[in-house]
Amino acid sequence: MAEDVVQDALLTVHRVRHTYQPGRPVAPWIAAIVTRRSIDAARKRGRIGRQEVFNEVADETFADPRANKLLEADASRTLAQMAGGLSRGQREAIELVKLKEMSLAEASEFSGQSIASLKVNIHRAMKKLRFSLPKEPPE
Amino acid sequence: MTASPIDKIINELASDVRPVRPLRAPALRALLAIAAIGLAAAFAIVVLGDVSGLRNRYAGREALLALETLAMLSTGVLAIVAAFVVSIPGRSKRWIAAPIPFFALWLLLSGLGCYDDLVRRGGVGWELGESIHCLRFIAATSAVFGPLLIWRLARAKPINPLPVALLGGLGIAATSVFVLQFFHPFAVTFIDLAVHLVAIMIVVGVVGLVNRGALAPA
Repeated sequence: MAEDVVQDALLTVHRVRHTYQPGRPVAPWIAAIVTRRSIDAARKRGRIGRQEVFNEVADETFADPRANKLLEADASRTLAQMAGGLSRGQREAIELVKLKEMSLAEASEFSGQSIASLKVNIHRAMKKLRFSLPKEPPE
Repeated sequence: MTASPIDKIINELASDVRPVRPLRAPALRALLAIAAIGLAAAFAIVVLGDVSGLRNRYAGREALLALETLAMLSTGVLAIVAAFVVSIPGRSKRWIAAPIPFFALWLLLSGLGCYDDLVRRGGVGWELGESIHCLRFIAATSAVFGPLLIWRLARAKPINPLPVALLGGLGIAATSVFVLQFFHPFAVTFIDLAVHLVAIMIVVGVVGLVNRGALAPA
């Protein structure tokens, strides 16, 4: 909540920046904006709190915490399968350029592949990954 | 100079930014708005007003009239100035109370005038009849000057619009009653005073209700 107020206050400072008069102390001006935004946030929370119920454990399906990781395990298995379909060069190119966000020149120096072959490898890997993405089961 | 990426982005974003034009001092902005309203009102009074009626009505009671009129004018002016001041974040909230003493003085003097009139003339003037014109006059005058004032007040995008709206409403309503003085062919009775008050409350209420929509708060 405090972070929200800070964000809101910063936005408001920006919106009403024309009301600050150069030469006057800035602290009371900002303090008034922050106070007002805090009051707004407290009111909003009160309003929402009267109508809605928060249940932090509502997302948990099973009592055993490991049981809730099924989806996570599923995703990592799929990813592993998809990555398994790539050649070594393609996997290296994707890893360096897309995941570690190196520039093509840096990746070329690091891996020994030429820039041209990096580009080709990335292109082919992306294509392969796209097609190997499992179809969404119908809802 | 080796600029970091963030410095570079900031410099790029700031390169075509136009400087912020700060609002002028609230008192000055208030005086400009009051001057505009005053000019329009003065024109209307000169063209359509009934100044001799005003003189006859208060013959022998000029001091009371002057004080009463001054009190309602001060209420209007101070409420408008206060609305402009509190629309700026961080200004003293005491401004909200500024028009109240003059408002009280006005009601007191107006009440005295009514009582005086009642004693002199007996129970005449207890009918509502004519007063409905006053209500209409105050509402109409406020409907003309209100949007102008709200437009000027909205420039500040007040972060807390309600006090600004209420003060603006009081300022407009009090100014309207002041202007009404020059169109009032008969002395103020208690019914009149009550009708004026109701009209003021209606105007303040309406402006208070539309505060968020009209003042475009930040």
